[in-house]
Amino acid sequence: MARLIRSEKEVEGRYEEVWTLVEEDALDQWPAGPGDVVGRDAPRLDGYEKARGEARYTGDIRLPGMLHAALLRSPFARARVARIDVAAAAAAPGVHAVVGPGEVQGVDGEASFEGYAVAAVAAQSAGQAHAALRLLDVEWEELEPLLDADEAVRRGSLVSPTREYARGDYERGLAEADAVVEAAYTTQTLNHNPLETHQCVCEWRGDSLDVHVSTQYIWGLRNELAEALGLPQDKVRVICEFMGGGFGAKNGIGNYLLVAAELAKRTGRPVRCALSRREENVVGGNRNATRQRVTAAARADGTLTALGGEFTCALGWGGWLPPTSGPMQLLYACENVKTVEHGAKLNLPPMAAFRAPGFVEGTWSLECVLDKLAAQLGIDPLELRKLNYAHADAMDGRPFSSKNLMECYRRAEPHWERRHEVRARSDEIWKRGLGMASQIWYGGGGPPSYAWVRLGSDGRANVVTAMQDIGTGTRTAMAQIAAEELGLPLDRVEVQIGDSARGPFASISGGSSTLPSMGPAVRSAAADAARQVLELAAQRFEREERLLSLKGGDIVSFDGGSWPLAEITGLLADGQILGKGARGPNPAGMRVLTFGIQLAEVAVDVGTGEVRVEKVVAIHDVGRVINPLGARSQVEGGIIQALGHTFSEARLDDPATGVVLTKTLDAYKLPTIADVPEIVCDLVDEPDEHLTNLGSKGLGEPPIVPTAAAIANAIRDATGADVTSLPITREEVLRALHEAEQRKKEPVAAGAA
Amino acid sequence: MRLERPSSREEAVAALGDGAVALAGGTELVPLLHEGIVAAETLVDVSAAVPRGIAGRVIGAGTTLAELEGSDAIPEALREACRLAASPQLRNMGTIGGNLLQATRCWYWRLRFPCRLHGGETCHAREGQHREHAFLANDFCASAHPSDPAAALLALGARIRTDRRELDLAELYRLPTEDDRSTTTLEPGELIVELELPEVQSSAYLKAMDRQRWAFALVGVAVARAGGETRIALAGAAPVPWLLGSAADLDAATPLPGTAFKVEIARTLVSRALATLQ
Repeated sequence: MARLIRSEKEVEGRYEEVWTLVEEDALDQWPAGPGDVVGRDAPRLDGYEKARGEARYTGDIRLPGMLHAALLRSPFARARVARIDVAAAAAAPGVHAVVGPGEVQGVDGEASFEGYAVAAVAAQSAGQAHAALRLLDVEWEELEPLLDADEAVRRGSLVSPTREYARGDYERGLAEADAVVEAAYTTQTLNHNPLETHQCVCEWRGDSLDVHVSTQYIWGLRNELAEALGLPQDKVRVICEFMGGGFGAKNGIGNYLLVAAELAKRTGRPVRCALSRREENVVGGNRNATRQRVTAAARADGTLTALGGEFTCALGWGGWLPPTSGPMQLLYACENVKTVEHGAKLNLPPMAAFRAPGFVEGTWSLECVLDKLAAQLGIDPLELRKLNYAHADAMDGRPFSSKNLMECYRRAEPHWERRHEVRARSDEIWKRGLGMASQIWYGGGGPPSYAWVRLGSDGRANVVTAMQDIGTGTRTAMAQIAAEELGLPLDRVEVQIGDSARGPFASISGGSSTLPSMGPAVRSAAADAARQVLELAAQRFEREERLLSLKGGDIVSFDGGSWPLAEITGLLADGQILGKGARGPNPAGMRVLTFGIQLAEVAVDVGTGEVRVEKVVAIHDVGRVINPLGARSQVEGGIIQALGHTFSEARLDDPATGVVLTKTLDAYKLPTIADVPEIVCDLVDEPDEHLTNLGSKGLGEPPIVPTAAAIANAIRDATGADVTSLPITREEVLRALHEAEQRKKEPVAAGAA
Repeated sequence: MRLERPSSREEAVAALGDGAVALAGGTELVPLLHEGIVAAETLVDVSAAVPRGIAGRVIGAGTTLAELEGSDAIPEALREACRLAASPQLRNMGTIGGNLLQATRCWYWRLRFPCRLHGGETCHAREGQHREHAFLANDFCASAHPSDPAAALLALGARIRTDRRELDLAELYRLPTEDDRSTTTLEPGELIVELELPEVQSSAYLKAMDRQRWAFALVGVAVARAGGETRIALAGAAPVPWLLGSAADLDAATPLPGTAFKVEIARTLVSRALATLQ
């Protein structure tokens, strides 16, 4: 039965109380461990399609008569369009339409960051569109930009109000401590750089709009576009069959979409708008830089008595304040916690969610300072983490739906014990060490989400839902879930996704929620179809329905009989079995989180500051694993992306003008395959008995969370040097080495700190 | 834009007058054309005009970095410099002649800030973001020269032959000044044809970069020993490939706040590279 409930909804650490339509989830979970299909390695169903270039991405869409749009963007961090003359551009070869400042939402003459869109053109070819941009005659009035986050906080220039949190008595916690460590940490601005840049093709059909777009949220985008354009929601159709990644940057609407829709309307033609790599590196969204001051205090026995942090997030001109304090509030059972978070509004491009926003930055400082505290107390870092284990939600005492972090710690022990051996492999140049960091993050998903399953006379199942596959292998996981429930081999299940006109509502691919939101709906739809098959089988074979089940493509009777599924589906002719399923509610009164630990083994060249990561062990608890092969691939991807922000990636802005200097991929350095260490992935794979009919949580974000801190702790283990800023460049390592050297020379001063 | 494909050196040299630009592997020129830093009505494909291949100690300027990297006839410093440069795809296209003329990666210059190298009044990097910039001869312009092979060839004491003269590689480069902002002594339309390497006993190239592969040098150090003489050259250190008189010359470095670490790395790499020489 469908119900309306008042419930807490979480996406990437943002909570809101909302009315939610939920349906009962009456199915029992499958037993733990691998089934016939679920829990077993499944190569991607669309792998060959992608490898052969047959998969159609948004960038492959070429519609008849299609025009190309290009946006005129501000070259200044802050400027006003004093005057603009579009006549020459409008008359240029191939140009069909020009949009001036103020004619489309998000395109105006008050440029507040570099790359701010002030006008746009649509032309026959992309080259003609860009050539026409140069003919737009603009008189800019340059204004003084605000670029420093601390200065912005002082001046009260904030994207949202400062967020404060306190529990217990922080000052008393500090007073009761035998050891107090204070430290400052920084993190850099990072660009998502998905393989596929932001892009779309908009086409009007009468009063309806078709949008081909690279998006993480087909339905959210449909609703946002409908609202922005003043259309009924179903007049907007959003299509995203394949996409080349998003990492959070493609959760919602962007002005490039509204520009394409407007130009398509004016010209009566389909209009394509695709950001170049340079545009992507400026306005594609970013993980905001942070400046953090954190304090950790404990008694001599290791009990944490106080955790405190002040976090300043350089958000740019917009975005939202991510939960940088989340790890500090949630990871440990500390009674006294106090956090303050500022979201500085600057004349820089706005941030966007980026794979565990806030938690990547907050875990970096918390897990580094905790290791310093362990050193000061003379307590083993792994032991310190176990000593302060949170058995219930540290914020409100709610029980966890499931938590196997202690099991992760237990599995970490044999790796952790190797640290003496790792250190012993040091030589004159290369100092080796091992470090660890814990992971905590959301990832429980939630309702609503729906799926349909269609079974025809060919005995094959079709899963239909209007979800997107951000690139994580979602299609394959959904097929596995349906196959398991229908007792079919995987190659007899198709999955149709990616079109809001062809399937029911599906959730966002963000906040590690795709699998835990969509998987239970798919299973529920498959179960509905299976039930109908068994009803028919009971009639046809004159058995009691409760004795029948589906397995291995057969209908199996508990009393011994067995018939190929085809004996029922073969009778259907044009008849179809239609199953319908919905995602049930989250467990009431419980906190759903993901957990884990990573250990990093590094070698540090003390003469040049080079750090080589030789091995990363990743142990995560995300409930039941649907596709172990896909899950390992996610873990590897998360760690590799983390290596980027740990060592080489940084958006650099000119401090005088606020212009982004790292617009190209030679300057913005993503990790390459040569930077990838041995990665050992160990998933606890214990279903969360309280969470849905699957017991599965999401894995998209957890693996990127603790890597940088584990590596920093390994560098300290190897050399005694405290690196405190991301990325850990050569200069940062050398600085920290010199500081450690200095500390050794002045032991008294170090003791006093 | 026009592309000419002359079949002889004479035709190529003739075609190169009047603002035409020579195109070899295109790995540097094509991005500069895209960025609007180089403007050209005519490109002259010089692949038929410039020799490609290695004959004894003579290297055709059209030889690719990949070919140098793979040849036993090439001294270790140059092979390693090629191996550590760019990516395999770029090394398969990029020629050694073109590589010697590589422009700086200074982001201000690449983004066409009106900097001194572009004829302007300021070096934006000195006050701005400059961690990848020069720590030697950086007073007028703090850009760093990115070529690994150029540093190796400097240490190896290479000479080059153009369509009109022969010179030491060191003479190909000049520091930009108020009066002349160019970083090479090449005349308009002048074409590098060949390189010649003297005999060396031993050589090495070490490179520090931000990731394991496909990054420009934070510091590249080439060393070579010939007869009683040892030569040291640096990449990523000065606006041009830099010949260092001795390791002690690093004491006279003039780092910016953000490039002091490069001096330290250079010291380490110079001493390590010298230690490998036989």
